Amino acid sequence: MNQLEVKPNHETRMILVCCGTGCLANGSAAVYEALCDALQGNDKIQVETFAKATGCNGLCEKGPLVKILPDDITYCKVKAEDVPEIVEKTLQQGELVQRLLYRDPATKKYYKSHHETDFYKKQKKVALRNIGEIDPTSVQDYLDRGGYQALEKALKEMSPAEVIEEVLKSGLRGRGGGGFPTGLKWKACAAVDNPPRYVICNGDEGDPGAFMDRSILEGDPHTVLEGMIICAYAIGASNGFIYVRDEYDLAVKNLTKAIENARECGYLGKNILGSDLSFDIELVRGGGAFVCGEETALINSIQGNVGEPWDKYVFPTERGLWGQPTVINNVETWANIPVIIKDGAANFASIGTEGSKGTKVFSLVGKVVNTGLVEVPMGTTLREIIYDIGGGIQNGRQFKAVQTGGPSGGCIPENLLDLPVDFDTLTEAGSMMGSGGMIVMDDRTCMVEVARYYVNFLAEESCGKCVPCREGISLLLETLTRICEGKGKPEDLDLLESMSSTIQQAALCALGRTAPNPVLSTLKYFRDEYLEHINNHRCPAGICKELTEFYIDAELCTGCGRCRRNCPADAISGEKKKAHTIDPAKCIKCGDCINNCKFQAVKVK
Amino acid sequence: MKVTIDGKNIEAKLGETILEAAKRVGVEIPTLCYSEAFGGQGVCRMCMVEVKEGERKRLVASCTYPITREIEVQTNTPELQEIRRNIITLLYRRAPNSDYMKKLYQEYEGISVEPVDPAEKCIMCRLCVKACEKVGAYAISAIMRGTEKRIATPFDEASPNCIGCSACADICPTGAIIVKKENGKQEIWHKTFEMSRCENCGKYFSTLPVNEHVKEQLDIEMSGENLCPNCRRKKLASDIAEVSVNR
Ligand SMILES: Cc1cc2nc3c(=O)[nH]c(=O)nc-3n(C[C@H](O)[C@H](O)[C@H](O)COP(=O)(O)O)c2cc1C
Repeated sequence: MNQLEVKPNHETRMILVCCGTGCLANGSAAVYEALCDALQGNDKIQVETFAKATGCNGLCEKGPLVKILPDDITYCKVKAEDVPEIVEKTLQQGELVQRLLYRDPATKKYYKSHHETDFYKKQKKVALRNIGEIDPTSVQDYLDRGGYQALEKALKEMSPAEVIEEVLKSGLRGRGGGGFPTGLKWKACAAVDNPPRYVICNGDEGDPGAFMDRSILEGDPHTVLEGMIICAYAIGASNGFIYVRDEYDLAVKNLTKAIENARECGYLGKNILGSDLSFDIELVRGGGAFVCGEETALINSIQGNVGEPWDKYVFPTERGLWGQPTVINNVETWANIPVIIKDGAANFASIGTEGSKGTKVFSLVGKVVNTGLVEVPMGTTLREIIYDIGGGIQNGRQFKAVQTGGPSGGCIPENLLDLPVDFDTLTEAGSMMGSGGMIVMDDRTCMVEVARYYVNFLAEESCGKCVPCREGISLLLETLTRICEGKGKPEDLDLLESMSSTIQQAALCALGRTAPNPVLSTLKYFRDEYLEHINNHRCPAGICKELTEFYIDAELCTGCGRCRRNCPADAISGEKKKAHTIDPAKCIKCGDCINNCKFQAVKVK
Repeated sequence: MKVTIDGKNIEAKLGETILEAAKRVGVEIPTLCYSEAFGGQGVCRMCMVEVKEGERKRLVASCTYPITREIEVQTNTPELQEIRRNIITLLYRRAPNSDYMKKLYQEYEGISVEPVDPAEKCIMCRLCVKACEKVGAYAISAIMRGTEKRIATPFDEASPNCIGCSACADICPTGAIIVKKENGKQEIWHKTFEMSRCENCGKYFSTLPVNEHVKEQLDIEMSGENLCPNCRRKKLASDIAEVSVNR
């Protein structure tokens, strides 16, 4: 398979350089420039060849990625220095550069195209359909892939009510976390006879480690615009706002360009495509707090107020931005709308589970082999996502839990790995879909410490308006910290449970109401670990320093000396090829020895 | 709008809050951040109640929940009692240093917790901020977030908006706002005000900017002497008496 069959009659060839944030950070801009330079005036290349900078392909672990079409070749971890070889071998001579191909870590097999890899095979790209395939700054690229056809169809062939009906029938539920049926939201807003109405795109994406919305905003901004314009037509809105997380510079840049181009092409502005619809969109940069992603806090922030939520007993669809009826949807929700309108609700609803239709984008991170962005049909099991797509646990370690739903999600244990992932199953399991964060944890993870970690994040990000959230999370944090330090008391578990229940029931917004999830889910599935900390002053994972003592199992130790050489505290001694020992008085419990022992000889007492 | 509150059938006005309706018919719901003058803030969550609408039950803050449908309300279930006990416990843990909180902590049989700062008094009910807004000064607000949240003037400096009226301190339930009164001066929120002195009884009665503010707001020229409210009332009474005697 080393020889590439380049058909000489290809009219043009396209080279796509991934310029998503991850690849850019690894130098893909230089790769792109080197390619453009190399192509310029190169008369040794037979077919006409273009280079394009695209959005994120998802396989960030292997970036920068370079794809060559129509041959369907994917090169991984490409550096600017590799460009001459790619040009000479592949473009001029029609040969593959094997060392740059994707290599399966388990089977050691090389793949010509990323499409053939397990990472991609189980995925289904709907929301991410264009990302990595188009130049996000080119409206023509979007049009070439069927862009704005849904808008034309809606404006010319459908009534506003029919558009809403179609979204309802698709079964689409909001991708920002709540999972509220999008069609119902639009219908409710359209029914409030109090114009002007507003449309908002929530691009705050405050979950640490999440980047699905970012990749859509950066890699396919027109799909978000098209979704919003269709909604404006359906509900009769005059103005739209895209609220973008302040750090997302590239998203802001690409969106700004997309809005300008859409205005030039008549997709935004007065009498869109000759219809009665007049609608325009404005960008708003976020306030820099996690809670500003909560819709009422976000509305406050757009209005120039402090980003604090209010009680939503009257929905924003009735009283939202400046007191007017408002539809607010998440970036990924918007990206699904053009597909639903263009290809029909039935098509969309054929993907997914009974209660959750379509696909969901996850950012798969943590101790998994292939980290990156993945889009799978709803109902795909956790095991498929983590093992088939994600390639299993790094360094051959043991799976322990997967944390879904962002900081206020829950931890799901191994015996639930066959859970088909959708809004309802995750909630039943004590976690949530959230916006699609998925963090895989291995056996070197202390679940009490994990709970403490997330609760600490939430304590810092609570806006502090209501008592249960501000003070309750603070008490949870104090209690968990105490347990991790070995000062836990048996009655602490009752306190955690009672306070968690109060926070869930009485907090003002969903930040507070979901904040106890990390505590309650770990208490539910890993209670033994809490009890070990409290009753036996022992952290079974060897993470909480006050409760950890490492030792070396003399039977298993081969005396390779790796741990001794790497120990930063000189706490390990032993002769070559003889069992080593750890001096507990010197040990600083960094865990380096246990993490790196090839023979599993380092143990936690 | 027919509503039942703790089994009592009442007629509620469309859009009024559960708390308002309950007060009207004499059902007590505990609150910490509520004042009739400002309406509900939804901050303290002591006023959570259970709302049953058809088959659906949920807990809501009665101070912000507007009645728009026929509902059944329970204000004192065991579940709500636990929530209130926990809220009082949490606030006592944060700010134990007032008789107000000590009393509530006893009354609600709070859980034993380690106070964060034994000297703290502020429970962040924000009534002071509301009072300041109502006065029209907008000198203080709730700043920062999470447990760092506190009431302050911008940049913790003397606010040009503050007129030293001390409405904030007057409404504070825990005495957390300090007003220093000394030698005809009053200090509050990093700012020292000259006091206005009554020409009749000699008492210092308000800060100079408050005097100005009152004149502006009421659009009156305070004629002649500078009098404290008490002496002004007395003078007014005697003026009226004079007028009627002279008639
Ligand atoms: C603390 C908090 C943070 C949130 N952050 C986001 C966010 O970053 N992006 C988002 O789309 N929704 C976020 N949400 C959910 C929004 O409140 C809202 O439900 C969503 O934008 C509605 O859009 P959807 O129906 O399309 O999901 C957050 C909610 C909470 C409570």
